[in-house]
Amino acid sequence: MNTLVQLVLSGILVGSVYALMSIGLTLIFGVLRIVNFAHGEFLMIAMYGAWAFTHLFGLNPYIAAVAIVPAMFLFGAVVYWLIINPALDKPHLVVVFATMALSIFLQNVALMAMTADLRDIPPIFNHSLVVGSIHIKVELLLGFVITLLCTFALQWMIRKTYLGKAIRATVQDGEAAMLMGIPVPRIFLITFAGGSALVGLAACVMVPLFSVFPSVGLNFVLIAFVIVVLGGMGSIEGALFGGICVGVVQSLSSYYVAPAFGQMFFFILFLLVMIFRPNGLLGQQGAATIGMNE
Amino acid sequence: MSTETIPSLNPARMAVFPTRGRISWFEIGLLLICLALVMSGIASNLQDVLLLSFLFGGLALAWNIAGGYAGLISFGHSAFFGVGAYTSTILAVRYGVTPWIGIWIGALIAAVFGAILALICARLRGPFFILSTLAFAEVVRIGALNWSSLTGGAEGLSIMPAPDLLGMVFASKTTYAALMLFYLVAVYAITKGLEASRFGYYLFAIRDNEDAAGAAGVDPLLGRTAALALSAALTGIGGSLFAQYFLYLDPTYVISPELSFQFALLPAVGGLGTAIGPVLGSFLITPLSELLRSYLGSSAAGLHLVIYSFGLIVVMLYFPAGLAGALEKLTRRGRSP
Repeated sequence: MNTLVQLVLSGILVGSVYALMSIGLTLIFGVLRIVNFAHGEFLMIAMYGAWAFTHLFGLNPYIAAVAIVPAMFLFGAVVYWLIINPALDKPHLVVVFATMALSIFLQNVALMAMTADLRDIPPIFNHSLVVGSIHIKVELLLGFVITLLCTFALQWMIRKTYLGKAIRATVQDGEAAMLMGIPVPRIFLITFAGGSALVGLAACVMVPLFSVFPSVGLNFVLIAFVIVVLGGMGSIEGALFGGICVGVVQSLSSYYVAPAFGQMFFFILFLLVMIFRPNGLLGQQGAATIGMNE
Repeated sequence: MSTETIPSLNPARMAVFPTRGRISWFEIGLLLICLALVMSGIASNLQDVLLLSFLFGGLALAWNIAGGYAGLISFGHSAFFGVGAYTSTILAVRYGVTPWIGIWIGALIAAVFGAILALICARLRGPFFILSTLAFAEVVRIGALNWSSLTGGAEGLSIMPAPDLLGMVFASKTTYAALMLFYLVAVYAITKGLEASRFGYYLFAIRDNEDAAGAAGVDPLLGRTAALALSAALTGIGGSLFAQYFLYLDPTYVISPELSFQFALLPAVGGLGTAIGPVLGSFLITPLSELLRSYLGSSAAGLHLVIYSFGLIVVMLYFPAGLAGALEKLTRRGRSP
């Protein structure tokens, strides 16, 4: 029984970290109606950034977020101007190929600059929290809290602020929003850059938990897509819900099914979700079954 | 099927530039140049480049049947390539079956894999289809790596390098070049035939408007499955030929996202959904990448992919119709006074 509680709990915590990394994707997806295939590579770059901060300056990665998040916002804005914006009015395939090429580009630049070695940072906290017989990694708990805070802050922003209202109007009907005086191109830019900044935050939370290597993005981007599909496209609380589902399934299956399964886990889970629940767990939005931006 | 126009070979009616479903002077000229290059006895390292251009041209055409004609953008085709390569090699090395037969068995198994992928992705569209193909190839790759009693695991598989006609191992690169050119021409002929056939029109209909195609009596799922199976089978044949030439299967290369990306890149640069596009793409990119690789050496791992992907971004944003699109523009200029 204790094992089960332990597994479910750590699954929930890991899942919330996955959710944090997926929020940026679901935001961009929901607003721009495009998929950034380089999302995983954005994460990889930000993780290298956080790793470098810790490695070079001996800084805590959570403090490094102060630099990484704005840097990723800028990076996202540059990518938007150079690649996404010119591709928006072209056929659907152009965005697909352009972002896919960007992902290969970033991966191989990282390979050349950093080699294929796995990079880790030394543990930050020496002890786990112990409650009864349950052990909780402090890094995971921190990730969980940051994700919750981030989700609530974003929810508040989307509901209450002018920017949030403009984003929602753009999602509902871009043309009408434009006619009402909402600068839709700027909303797109802010969403894309903001989504990238969120990936930067996720990277800082993930660096203490996972190793960094040039192709690390592929594993995580598939998880992020599973979460986006499960939770419903463009939904922030859906991402949290989907993330926790994925985390619990991963934690239970790696214990009860087979540990060797771990290497294939991301891919099999993705395919299973695609086969059986392409409309998401609640079956509301149909993100996977509609072609985007056509 | 008998009533459809077959590719016209009547010289009086032949176009200068490639047209859908018809043979043009441009294609005949290109074929003659290729034949001349095969026969010319050029330097050995140039022959490498030549036969790789042929092989990847054929592979790009095979990818294009799914990606260009049926709109099934796949980033997992290296799974089919690997299945073909592994099947013929395992049959030859472990069971003594000649590759001349093994190639067809490999193509068949690759086709089954293609059909399975199509069924997995039956309901998926857009980005989710693409990611599923990627995930599918990763599952196949990890499976092949771990099933080492069959595939040799991380060590890979080697074919005896002794020249042997029955074993499809040749001493001269000219023979290989001719074989690869034959593969390219065969896949090209299938593509051209497809363009003029009822099945080809089904695929265009499914690609352009699936609902309308369904309403007009075309079964989209059947069409997608058949297209992916055909594309996979042809890719599998390419994989077997690759294995017969290199005589060694490196599991980290034959099924890899990198290779899958290359299959998609060549048609994208050349022009999606055209027959000549993938060939031109391969004739441009393959020599370029071989040159880069030999100049830069292994010291700059990944640099050729950096240059590739950068090129692809530029091509996609500024010339989305690819080389074939540029060629078509040329034709139009020729026609209008």
